[in-house]
Order: sequence, then C-alpha cells, then structure tokens
Amino acid sequence: MFSFRSATAQELFVFTEPASNMAAKGFGLRLNNYLMNEAGSERNSYHLIPEVMWGASKHIMVHAEAFLSNRNKSFVAEGGALYAKYRFYSTDEVRSHFRMAAFGRFSFNNSDVHQQAIDLNGHNSGYEAGLIFTKLKEKVAVSATTSYLHAMDNIKEKFIYGNKNRNAVNYTLSAGKLMLPKEYTSYKQTNMNLMVELLGQVNMNTGYSFLDIAPSVQFIFLSKMRLDAAYRIPLVKDLGRTSPGGYFLRFEYNIFNAY
Amino acid sequence: MKNLIIAILLLLPGVINAQVKAATIQASGLTCSMCSNSIFKALKTLDFVEKVDANIKTSSFEIAFKPNAVVDFDKLKAKVEDAGFFVANFTITYNFDNLAISNDKHINVGNNVFHFLNVKDEVLSGDKKLRLIDKGFVSAKEYKKNSNLTKMACYKTGEANQKRIFHVTI
Repeated sequence: MFSFRSATAQELFVFTEPASNMAAKGFGLRLNNYLMNEAGSERNSYHLIPEVMWGASKHIMVHAEAFLSNRNKSFVAEGGALYAKYRFYSTDEVRSHFRMAAFGRFSFNNSDVHQQAIDLNGHNSGYEAGLIFTKLKEKVAVSATTSYLHAMDNIKEKFIYGNKNRNAVNYTLSAGKLMLPKEYTSYKQTNMNLMVELLGQVNMNTGYSFLDIAPSVQFIFLSKMRLDAAYRIPLVKDLGRTSPGGYFLRFEYNIFNAY
Repeated sequence: MKNLIIAILLLLPGVINAQVKAATIQASGLTCSMCSNSIFKALKTLDFVEKVDANIKTSSFEIAFKPNAVVDFDKLKAKVEDAGFFVANFTITYNFDNLAISNDKHINVGNNVFHFLNVKDEVLSGDKKLRLIDKGFVSAKEYKKNSNLTKMACYKTGEANQKRIFHVTI
C-alpha cells in the first residue's frame, strides 16, 4: 500500500493533492479507509487514517493525520504525519487556472519495517518534499506531482533494506472530469467526478520501481461533503510491497469560515 | 442655520451624491460548486453584506449591502482571494444624484474617492454601474492593458495622499 495526499471537484484528486488549497480559515475532516490485499495470502489489511486539514492562509494549508491499522493482527495506532503545502504560482482566468505548489511532509511510525518501497502514509517514518503542477479548464483537471522521499528508521525498527536504499522519487499524473451535474443551478446538486491516477515510485539507488493505476469515482454532496471510492491496481511491481493493490474509501466534511 | 446644514451635507458626499446599492463579483480560477461555495460563505461573513446570490455556472456573486453600511471593496476582494481564487470582474451599482464626473479625475463618490478612467464628461443620475479596474479587481492582463489610461501614480499604488483611490470606469 502506498498513498499520496489529496484536497480541493475535478481536481480534488483521490490519491494526490492539487496545487490549489482549501479556503483560508476552513477545516476539512477526513476518514480515509484502505482495504488492501496482503500479497501471498487471503488476508486483507485495513488501514484507517483520520485526517484534519486546515486552510492557514490563502497560500498555505496544513494536514495532520493519524495512522491506525490491523496489519499486525490487532487494530492499533501506529503513527502520524504532518503535511504542509504552499501555493506559490497562480494564473487564473474565468473557469480555468494553472497553479504550482511546493509541499513537505514528515511522518513517524512505530510499525514493523516490512517492504522496500517507501510509504510515508502509514508504513515508514521519514520525510518528503516535492512540487505540484495543476491545470484546470472547464470540466477537466490534470495534475502532476514529483517529490523526493527519505525513509528514516521507524520508532521501534531500523530501516532494514540498506542505507543506500532509503531515498526514492515519487511521481504522479492525475486526471479528473466533472460528469454531473451537466449544468450548475444550486449548491445542493450532487456532483460526480471520474478520475484516473498513475502513482509511481523509483528507488534512487536500485532503480527498482512500482507504478499503479487508480481509477476512482467521487461524489460531492451539498457542496461540502465528499465521498471518494477508488481501486488501486499495480502495473509495475519491481519494487517490493507487501500489499500493493486494494480498495480505498474516503469520507470528507468541510467547514468553511470556522473562525 | 440652513447654510450650516447644507455645509455639513456637502462634507458628507455619500449622503448627497451617491448611494452604493449592490455589487457583482465574478471570480476566476474555479469551475466546481464546492469552490464556489467557499467564496459564497466567505462573502457572507462580512458585516456590511446583507445577502449574496451565487451563480455557480458563471462563478458570479450578486451582493446586496445593508442600508447605510460602509462598504469596503478591498475586504470583498480579500474574501475571494482567501478562498483561493481571484476577482475577474467587479461592478458596483450606485444610485447617483447628479454627480458630475470627468476623465482622469479624482471624485468623491459616497465614502470613497474614485478615479474615473476612460469616461467622458457627464452628470450621473439614477442607478448606474461602475466597474472597478484596480489591481486585483480585474485580470492581470487587463490591469496591464489599462495602465495607459492614466499617468498618475495612484493607478499603481492605489493611494494618493494616504487615501485609498479606487479606479473605475463605466
């Protein structure tokens, strides 16, 4: 299992964040659920990631999340992460924009170190820094991310796959399209977006990589609640992972002008 | 006594020559209803705003103001930007009582000082729409294009003699 972050309709991607931020003074609450098939077994592992998002200013947003899972039999809290994103470039026109943002992330985890691939979303302690490029035009959005990650030792266990293999590059390409409503008349209309994302990682020492494709459907209710459902399918599997494929379900609730 | 009242009224140009009635803001950079909703809710938090009607399809917001409230156009713009977007078009509806305007001149309108650009000399009366063309109130492209309409520094600084100057056209 590996995951990126996500935020604000057709560019509100499921596994990645767009360069746009949520509104300042707003909060978003999420429950991220992963049901991943453990390779070589019939067993599925469940990961629950509660997440709070905060629009700190028009340029900066911050996410905090906690990692819980039953990967090691009983369901326990395993760690947490902080994520911050700075939107530094915007060219906006009516019904279109191109934006760029920089982000950083720090994660800590006390679970066992169990795969070569580095996953800061519930598996490894470590840090990540990267850039996001997002283009929105009418009903279609396309976004690309690239980042550098470094795995640190987990709280109880060392990173056992060699010091040279602690560094990796992540890259993503996401596309989303607004399918419904055909025409906006009210905030009460349910929106439906269809998305597809390519999510990859290359280890900087070994050159081994993985690449997944993740189709998803998203519903937005009352212009403030969100439901994302996705299925992640591994395409390239050179870089070892214990549970590369599976289901993802997210509930999100947004509070505008919280203070 | 009568002269004194007239003198006081003349010092309060808002009372005499123009009353702001409504504004329409079109935002840029969004196409989704959740984004539009974040602007809608942000605009409603301003104390001088009575009512906001949103058109999600055109990303436009029609804003009615409370009676006799002091309307701050910069605060309206800031709310759109705080929601993560930009103002592409900002028009204000005033009710004028015989206000004489002329091109490239600073004129008191209500509680504000307006710098009229690309207008002919005329006397405004009744409901008229003005369009704000300051930096951040139009697209960056249009702001640049309009810079040849005046040689005055206030077009860039938005100020003259430490007072906010809004640049408007009809």
